[in-house]
Amino acid sequence: MEKREVFKNSYLAFILAFPTLIILLLFLYYPTFKTFILSFYQVGFLGLSKIFVGIENYITLFTDPNYQQIFYNTFIFVVSNVGLSLGLGLLLAVLANTKVKGWRIYRLLLIWPYALPPAVAGVIFLFMFNTQVGIINYFLGHFIGIKPDWLSNPILAMFVIILASVWKNIGYNVVFYLAALQNLPGDVLEAAEIDGASCWQKFWHITFPLLSPMTLFLLIMDTIAAFFDCFAFVDILTKGGPAGSTTLLIYSIYRDGFEYFKTGMAAAQSVILFIIVVILTILQLRLSKNWVSYSR
Amino acid sequence: MKRLVGALIVVLMLANFSFAKEKVKITFWHAMGGSRTAFIQRMVEDFNYTHPNIEVKAEYKGSYRDTLNAAILAYKQGNAPNIVQIFEVGSQLALDSGIFLPFQDTVKPTDYAMLDDFISGIANYYRINGKFNSIPFNSSNPILYYNKTLFKKAGLDPNRPPKTFKEVMEACAKIKKAGVAPYGITWPLHGWFVEQWIAEQGALLANHKNGRAGRATDVYLNSKAMYRIMKWWRDLYKKGYYAYSGKPEDWDGANNLFVSGQAAMLITSTSDVTILQNAAYEHNFELGTGFLPVPDGIKRNGVVVGGASLWMTKGHSKAQNEAAKTFLLWFTNTENEVRWHKGTGYFPVRKSAVDVLEVEHWFDKHPAYRAAFDQLLQTKSNYATRGALLGIFPELRNIVTDAVQKIFDGKPIKTVLNEADKRADAALKKYNRSVR
Repeated sequence: MEKREVFKNSYLAFILAFPTLIILLLFLYYPTFKTFILSFYQVGFLGLSKIFVGIENYITLFTDPNYQQIFYNTFIFVVSNVGLSLGLGLLLAVLANTKVKGWRIYRLLLIWPYALPPAVAGVIFLFMFNTQVGIINYFLGHFIGIKPDWLSNPILAMFVIILASVWKNIGYNVVFYLAALQNLPGDVLEAAEIDGASCWQKFWHITFPLLSPMTLFLLIMDTIAAFFDCFAFVDILTKGGPAGSTTLLIYSIYRDGFEYFKTGMAAAQSVILFIIVVILTILQLRLSKNWVSYSR
Repeated sequence: MKRLVGALIVVLMLANFSFAKEKVKITFWHAMGGSRTAFIQRMVEDFNYTHPNIEVKAEYKGSYRDTLNAAILAYKQGNAPNIVQIFEVGSQLALDSGIFLPFQDTVKPTDYAMLDDFISGIANYYRINGKFNSIPFNSSNPILYYNKTLFKKAGLDPNRPPKTFKEVMEACAKIKKAGVAPYGITWPLHGWFVEQWIAEQGALLANHKNGRAGRATDVYLNSKAMYRIMKWWRDLYKKGYYAYSGKPEDWDGANNLFVSGQAAMLITSTSDVTILQNAAYEHNFELGTGFLPVPDGIKRNGVVVGGASLWMTKGHSKAQNEAAKTFLLWFTNTENEVRWHKGTGYFPVRKSAVDVLEVEHWFDKHPAYRAAFDQLLQTKSNYATRGALLGIFPELRNIVTDAVQKIFDGKPIKTVLNEADKRADAALKKYNRSVR
C-alpha cells in the first residue's frame, strides 16, 4: 500500500485540532501545571494567602507516619482491588459465556452493579455491613453467633471497602472479557478439543493467551480506576477510619484540600498520585510485550 | 406607526420608572438543608414583602464546610455573597481569612440592634476581642436523650436521667442486665462532644485562655480532662455499653440506633429535639431529655454554644451593606427567633425570645425543650465555656476521632493522647504561620 498524506500542509491539521487543544490546555495542562506549582507552597484559605516552602510539603508526605500509612493503605487497596476485579471478572465472564438456560439474565445481572452510582453502592454496603442492624450481621449472628464490627475494625473495614469497590467494578471487566471471549477463533478451540485437550488446558493454553490484549487493557483501566474511583466508598462507608486505616490517597487529597484548607499539601499529594499512575501505566505497557500477544 | 411610537414611549417610561425604583439585591448563603431550606425561604419571602426596596436571595450551599469554601472562592472571583452562614468553629478561620466585615462596625445606635439582648453564653462565644464580628443565629448544644419506656422496663426511674459519668455507667449496666436493649448509650463519634466535656470540667482546649487572650499556639489534647473523658468512653465501649455505628461523624447512624431501640440513651444536638420527638411518637416510646452527663466530682461548668452565626463579606457598596444589615437585624429579631425555634428546634439566641416562649407556656407544652434551655442558661461564664478559637478545628476534630478509634482498638490512652497532642500542635503551628 502506498503512503498517502491526508493533509497537504500541517496548518490545516493544526487548525482542526485547535479547539481540542484549547480545551486540553485550559482544563488539563494548565491545572496540572498549576498543581505542580502549588505543591511548593503553603496555601491558606483556598488561595488567599501563599507562602513558598520549597519541598517541605513533600518532606512531610514522606516522613509523617500518617501519610506513610495512607500510601500503605492505597497500595493494599489497589493491588487487591485490581487482582480481585480481574480474576473474578474473568471467571464470571467465562461462566457467563456458556450457553446455559437463561444466559441472557445472568449476563444482565452481572453487568448491573456497574450501572449504579458509587454513592448508591456505598450506601447499600453501609446498610448491609452495619454492626447492629445490618443484614450481614443478622445472618452471622443467627447462624454462627458472631457479630463483627465490620467498619470499626481496621482490617475488616479495609476488606469491606475492597469488597464494595470490586463488586462495583466487576461488571465492567465482565463486559469486556465477554466481548473478547465471543471473538475467540472457534477453529483453534475446536482443534484443541479434537486433540483431546481438557477444559483447563484449553483455557490456560489457548483462551487465556488469546485474551491477553484485553487483560492488559483492563489491567490499566482497573489500576487507574482503583486510584481515582474509590472516593465515594471511603467517604460513605468509613470516612477514612478507623484511625486512618482506610484513608486512601484520593480521599486524603480531598480532605486536605477542601476540609483542612491545606491546598499545598493536597497539591503535593496530587503530584505524587500523578507520578505513580504515569509510572505504572508506562511499566505495564513496557512489560506487556513479554506476555501480550496481539496477532493470532 | 403612531401607535407603535406610542407603545415605545410607554415601554421606555415603564423601564425608566423601574430603574428609578431599582431594588438593592442581597445574596445570603446558608447551610440549612432539608425542611430548613424551605423554612428560611419562607422567612426571606416575608422580609422581601415587608421591605419593598430590598430583595434578598437565599441559597442553600450544602454543608457548613461547603458554604465557607464557596464563599471564599466567590470572594476571590469578586462576587462574594453579602451574607454567609458560618459554623461556630469556623469563626477564627473566618476572622483570619480577612474577607469579612465586622458586623458590629456597621451597627449605628439608631438601628436598635439590641446587642445586649443576646443570651450571655452565646454572646460570650461570638463576641471576639470585645465585639460581634458576626451576628449569632442558630445555636445548639449536646443534651442527653433517653427512652423512658426502656428505662421503666429496666427498673430505672424514668424521671431521673443519669447526670454523671458514673450514673450513666450504672444505668447502662442495669439496662443490659434487664435485657431491654442490646446497648446502653450511643452518640456520634465526633470531636464536638469531647470539646463540650472539656468545657464542662472548666478546662481549656488551647493556651492563651482558649485563644481568646491572644492567638492560641498550643492545643491541650493530653490534659487530665481529656484523660477522664477517654477513660470513661473506652470503658463504656469495652463493656459493650456504647453502641458505635462504625464510622466517625455519623449523626444519622447514632439517631437510628436510639430510635430503633438498640440503645436506651443518646447524646446529640438540641437541634434534633423536634426530629426525635416525632420519631419517638412513630416508634411508640416516650422521650425524655436531660443535661449532658459530666465526670464525677466535678463542678458542672456548662456547655459551649454550637451552631452558626451570620457574617457579612467585604467589598460591597454602602447601600448593599446597609441593606444586608437591615436584613440581618430583622432575621434575628425576637419574633423571628421564636418562629425559628418552633420550626426547627434550634434555640433562640435572644433573651427576649426566651421570655416570649415562657409567656406562651411553650416549655410546659413541650417539656423536651426544657433541658436544652436550662443547660444553656445555667452555663457559667468563663474561658472554658466560651469555647476555643482555633483555625484548625476541622483537622483537630479528625485528630480527636482518630485518637478515640485508636483507644477503642486497645492502645493505651496516655500514649494515644500524647501522639494526638503532638499532631495537633504541629498542625496549629503550620496554620499560624500562614496567617502571619
